[in-house]
Amino acid sequence: MIDLMVNGQARRVDADPDMPLLWALRDMLGLTGTKYGCGIAQCGACTVHVDGAPTRSCQTRIGDLAGRRITTIEGLHPEGQHPLQQAWVAAQVPQCGFCQSGQIMSAAALLAENRRPSDADIDAAMAGNICRCGTYPRIRAAIHDAAAKA
Amino acid sequence: MDGMIERRTLLATGAAALVVPLAPASAQQAPPPVITAAAANSPNGGVGQVTAFLRIAPDGRVTFASPVTEMGQGTHTSHAMIVADELDVPLAQVTVVAGQPEPALRLQPVNEMYSGASFGIRFWHDRIRRACAQARGALVQAAAERLGVAADTLSTAEGRVTHAASNRSVPYAELVEAASRLPLAETPRIKPAAERRVTGRAAPRMDIPAKTNGSAIYGHDIRLPNMAYAVARLSPVFGAELDGFDRASISAIRGIIDVVALKNGVAVVAENSWAAMEGAKRITIRFKPTPEQNLDSAELSRRLRAGLEGGPATRPRNDGDVDAALSGAARVVEATYEVPFLAHAPMETENATVHIQGDKVEVWASTQHQDWCARDAARVAGVPRENVVIHTPMTGGGFGRRLHTEVVEQATTVAKAINRPVKLIWTREDEFAQSYWRPAFAAKLRAAVDAEGKVTGLAIRAAGQSVMGDYRPALFAGPLRGNDPFALQSIADTRRYDFGAFRAEWHRVEAAPKVWLWRSVGGSQMCFFLESFLDEVAAATRKDPYALRRELLAKDARALRVLDTAAQRGGWQSAPPAGRHRGIAFVDLYDSLVAQVAEVSVTGNEVRVHKVSVVIDCGDVVNPDSVEAQMQGSVIWGLSSMALEGVTLKDGAAEQRNFDTYPILRIGSAPAVDVTIIRSGERTGGVGEPGVPPVAPAVCNAIFAATGRRVRSLPLASQGLNV
Repeated sequence: MIDLMVNGQARRVDADPDMPLLWALRDMLGLTGTKYGCGIAQCGACTVHVDGAPTRSCQTRIGDLAGRRITTIEGLHPEGQHPLQQAWVAAQVPQCGFCQSGQIMSAAALLAENRRPSDADIDAAMAGNICRCGTYPRIRAAIHDAAAKA
Repeated sequence: MDGMIERRTLLATGAAALVVPLAPASAQQAPPPVITAAAANSPNGGVGQVTAFLRIAPDGRVTFASPVTEMGQGTHTSHAMIVADELDVPLAQVTVVAGQPEPALRLQPVNEMYSGASFGIRFWHDRIRRACAQARGALVQAAAERLGVAADTLSTAEGRVTHAASNRSVPYAELVEAASRLPLAETPRIKPAAERRVTGRAAPRMDIPAKTNGSAIYGHDIRLPNMAYAVARLSPVFGAELDGFDRASISAIRGIIDVVALKNGVAVVAENSWAAMEGAKRITIRFKPTPEQNLDSAELSRRLRAGLEGGPATRPRNDGDVDAALSGAARVVEATYEVPFLAHAPMETENATVHIQGDKVEVWASTQHQDWCARDAARVAGVPRENVVIHTPMTGGGFGRRLHTEVVEQATTVAKAINRPVKLIWTREDEFAQSYWRPAFAAKLRAAVDAEGKVTGLAIRAAGQSVMGDYRPALFAGPLRGNDPFALQSIADTRRYDFGAFRAEWHRVEAAPKVWLWRSVGGSQMCFFLESFLDEVAAATRKDPYALRRELLAKDARALRVLDTAAQRGGWQSAPPAGRHRGIAFVDLYDSLVAQVAEVSVTGNEVRVHKVSVVIDCGDVVNPDSVEAQMQGSVIWGLSSMALEGVTLKDGAAEQRNFDTYPILRIGSAPAVDVTIIRSGERTGGVGEPGVPPVAPAVCNAIFAATGRRVRSLPLASQGLNV
């Protein structure tokens, strides 16, 4: 049994400590907003926060997470109204949407550290998140929009 | 999310709901027409009668079962807008659900429900309007009878029928029952453009809020009671069949349930995805040898180049006497180009969930082809096709990839073998290896130029594998007699440019890798060949590339307007900012015209694409914000592929298996995209694909303007150029 703190709740999963957090979230805790895209930390679709830091859950063993605070897209804001989530809707960012949980989690970690990121800051913070539909111009606009309103 | 249940509900409660099948009953019951070569010989054509289903519930809510998969292109919202507009109901009262494969939602003449060829609006718009106009007519007639007034004294708005003279109005909800007993008009009055209030103005997409909070459910996210998790391990070599596997090699992994043999691999079944994935990765497996297990990119390239020099070819265009033009020319410009295999690489890998209960099968699949899912599941499960229900959840990218349904066949095989509901997913590695790629292609172009520098003839000979041959082999070998309309798409099937004499021919190359429809299909390589070559002709004749295209399009006012608008938006006639250079390109694809101007700087081997100005004339527009989003996405898709992407072969298999070796453009390299939409009122064109083809030539033409270097092989990365 592994004890995890996910979105402010204590959760217990019956799984091998080597299991990546991604699959524990998706299969065992039913938190399917975090996505499998590549399994090798290249695409960013599985991005969550561990103690506030953007983390690729496909490369994070659950056995290493004792006492750590895990936040997924479902827990970013209780009503799904984080300024970035509002900006994402206002700018009509997602197309297929599969990468967008990871995009938003990376952007949220950026804004938590840097309240007025420049384009270069956005490029650096978001470089690990692929969007195959090509929503990058709207992602950039939405991050600036959320930053301006924060 | 369940279109089938909605449908059954609405039929079961037909007395209380207005259900409008929008084609005459006789047409619906007619047997599928025989495919003719004439009808099928165009990627733009080959379609016929279709209907859609519309339901108005007693509470006034309207449900539309869409024939199109929502892949992020926004079609479900656009369909809702058309319904709201033509029916005169608030957009918020319209719900769109994914339809089931059934006669009303099938494209003719192939008689299949699928999403492709940028059909979502250009094919369905008028049909949905007609359905709604019929429903509105019946509601008005019911109100006329109830109020005792003539129908032509009534108006509709906001879900009500109003008699202005007596200041009375009735909500649709109170008219539904009476209207459902009235006959539907064969030729209902459809709103002319001037009366449309909802379409043509940007509306927020209905699917977006759920895509910002993790609640949108994709195929990967399906969870059923007692469901097992399976992950495939497939042969990396196309056509290689399973020879054997050693189950004991993964017996140490906790949670493994079974290993099920597939045609070209195995499915490892477990109690969770991770155990299944570890098992798939670690299992000892052998594949049978194939004749092409040593194929590599050098050999493939040799076949492509050989196909340019000789061998049989189809020749869909041979206008005038090209040979005479070439032999009599003051000058002949000639160039050869080559492009690689490309993977779709949708963010969501292939997957399907299958639940067999007795002789009933339920399938959840992120798919573009509901009918082939049903066909494959029925065949493997051994049940009648009508016993299969197809659920289409959200889809993590399509791009043509999900017209292929092998994964449904595999998942049904597993569900049958283990007697449990199962979700089968592919690893990213298998997704790359077995993607059914955009074919590698080569082309040789020759232009005849007279003493005044005027183009008097143009010939193109292309060589590559046949998409149609793999996509619809019976159609390709039968009615099409070996002609592939995708092979020379956007060149042979349009007549915008006037080259004088013109010849377009294609030699089919055979190779083991499967090739498939990839966003913009043949346009993806043909536009690169032609529009790069026109730049070479411009350089050879010392003409401005924009001016040369104007000459060649001189007789086509619509195309000129698109080209001229792109030149204006891209600032063609003014000097670019210091260090920047411009390239221009044009395409006619799926009834839309697109021109682009790319603004690029080159420093050493570093290419920076600063801005792309896109102009599209897609005739009519339903949701301009979705058109803009598709143009932005198309530019980035096109730039990613031309700059970075390519599948190379070694030992019969892809050398690229994940995003570390098959890079996708990232945010820091994404240009600004300026989009202009021309509403010409011409026939509605597609939007999902036509924005892709001009990107590669526009950028390469800008690189030429910057450096004098002509890029004739892609991607740029293979030529030592970094974006």
